[in-house]
Amino acid sequence: MGKEQITADGCIAANPALPEKTSETGLGWRPKSGALGRLGNLILVASTYLFLYVPLIVLLVFSFNTEPFPSPWKGFTWKWYVELFHTAPLWDSFCNSLIVATSSTLISLTMGVFLIFYAAQGGRIGKFLNLFYGNVIVPETVLAVGLLSFFSLVCIPLGLTTLILAHTVLGLGLVIPICYARFLELDQRMTEASLVLGATPFQTFFKITLPLLRPALLATGLLIFIISFDDFILSYFCAGSTSQTLSLYILSMLRSGISPVVNALTAVLLILSSLLVGIFFSLKTRTRIF
Amino acid sequence: MKSLSKSQVPFSFGAPAMIWQVLFFYLPLALIVISSFIKAADNGLIEGLTLDHVTFFLRPLYLKVICSSFILAISNTIICFLIAYPLAYFIAFTAKRFGNLFLILVIVPFWTNFLLHVYAWFFVLDKDGFLNILLKGLGLVQDPVSHLNTPFAVIIMMVYYYLPFMVFPLYSSLERMDVRLIEASRDLGATWLQTFRRIILPLTKRGLKAGFFLVYIPSFGEFVIPELMGGDRQMFVGTVIADYILGEETGALGAAFTVLAMVFMLLSAVVIYWIIERFIPGKSHG
Repeated sequence: MGKEQITADGCIAANPALPEKTSETGLGWRPKSGALGRLGNLILVASTYLFLYVPLIVLLVFSFNTEPFPSPWKGFTWKWYVELFHTAPLWDSFCNSLIVATSSTLISLTMGVFLIFYAAQGGRIGKFLNLFYGNVIVPETVLAVGLLSFFSLVCIPLGLTTLILAHTVLGLGLVIPICYARFLELDQRMTEASLVLGATPFQTFFKITLPLLRPALLATGLLIFIISFDDFILSYFCAGSTSQTLSLYILSMLRSGISPVVNALTAVLLILSSLLVGIFFSLKTRTRIF
Repeated sequence: MKSLSKSQVPFSFGAPAMIWQVLFFYLPLALIVISSFIKAADNGLIEGLTLDHVTFFLRPLYLKVICSSFILAISNTIICFLIAYPLAYFIAFTAKRFGNLFLILVIVPFWTNFLLHVYAWFFVLDKDGFLNILLKGLGLVQDPVSHLNTPFAVIIMMVYYYLPFMVFPLYSSLERMDVRLIEASRDLGATWLQTFRRIILPLTKRGLKAGFFLVYIPSFGEFVIPELMGGDRQMFVGTVIADYILGEETGALGAAFTVLAMVFMLLSAVVIYWIIERFIPGKSHG
């Protein structure tokens, strides 16, 4: 089940021998589908990107309009951005989201590294690994419902702690399958060389294995951070009434109607996520997350 | 790891992750199942087992809710597949050096809070929104109506949100495909359709299955998009679960409905998975 499942949930850590061959012939290669077919494909792709970006562009345009939405274009203004930075509760919830995302990322990465450390020292975790594939099959709504009844059963008050606990479960479901698959792909000759040359298993792990895994760990960490930061369903059920995350705050803004401040917020968050995507791609990791 | 056949560190290094997973994933799930069969007395003590909670939902109203969730999830999956395949194909083969750029363009909106996407679509689908301006400009519509709170808005938003989940697995299996196979098939005289049906599709079956799971399962339990985009016209599984779980003293009913919906979702997923296995040629472990 092991390796097949890793790819089945879309987290693909490629076999090192394969992509090289295909990328060499593949990148410069153009399928001979005929001019008509190529044109059709181009039109489909162009309309898909239009579909993805038109709403965002319309939204951005209206973040600079002096009058709120139903009114047509009146003039250029920065005032919604100024108002955005003066909306204190929004930044409180932004900080809460940052705290939750950072902690759950760090906790799940640490536990993941420990598990891989155990595996690297010869511990057999193959069959335990199957524990972590359930996260893909169970919808988040169901997990949220279960966690809510669990927290109320053991009397943990809802708040940031419960959110961190919940988001760490999401993180574990990613970090362990992805990083363990990457670990299995590492060139075992390197660790063997290190051991033969007299390094202790401990030194080997920290000087050889961990540095080799670093890109995969960073990429997974970034992904967990984003998923936790943008998560809505778990936050909706497990946050309680006292601690608001950014998603919950945005929901309350949406329910109270259209406000150009939300447009300005979207612009800011789009810039942030473009930066993170940029970092993600510059990691040049072979571990493809998707 | 020949030189180290036995573990040199105690199991406690591997344990935290597993304990966490059992405690905060499997235990809560078990709790849902248990609490949906437990009959609680007024003083909160357990009185015995009961099927009342489950049978409460075996009524046309709730079966219809499950059915509409099924229809929403399956149509979302099919539409996502139809849009994602040409896109993934384009990124993997036609885009050449700019493949990464086009991939990034798919990821950037996906990595932004999805409630903001819902919000963005208000501007397009509203009565005075972009879509109506466009349709009016083309002379297709004289009297614009709001497209919000319609099934159309729900499905648009679902596809918008779940599309990347279908694009990424398809892209990775296309990208890893040996393109010489396509060349060979074309050189040996196969038409484009034959090549697609007998070479490309079977070789990307794994990506297709992954995409199916990543889109179908979460969209079955989706409750935010139908609520925000569809108004309260139609009930879906997620909406009912949220209502009962967050309602006063209806937690057990909510748990029972969650179990019922989960069973139906898993059964339907297995059937569809079998259909994909059966009707798309190629090895199942391709």
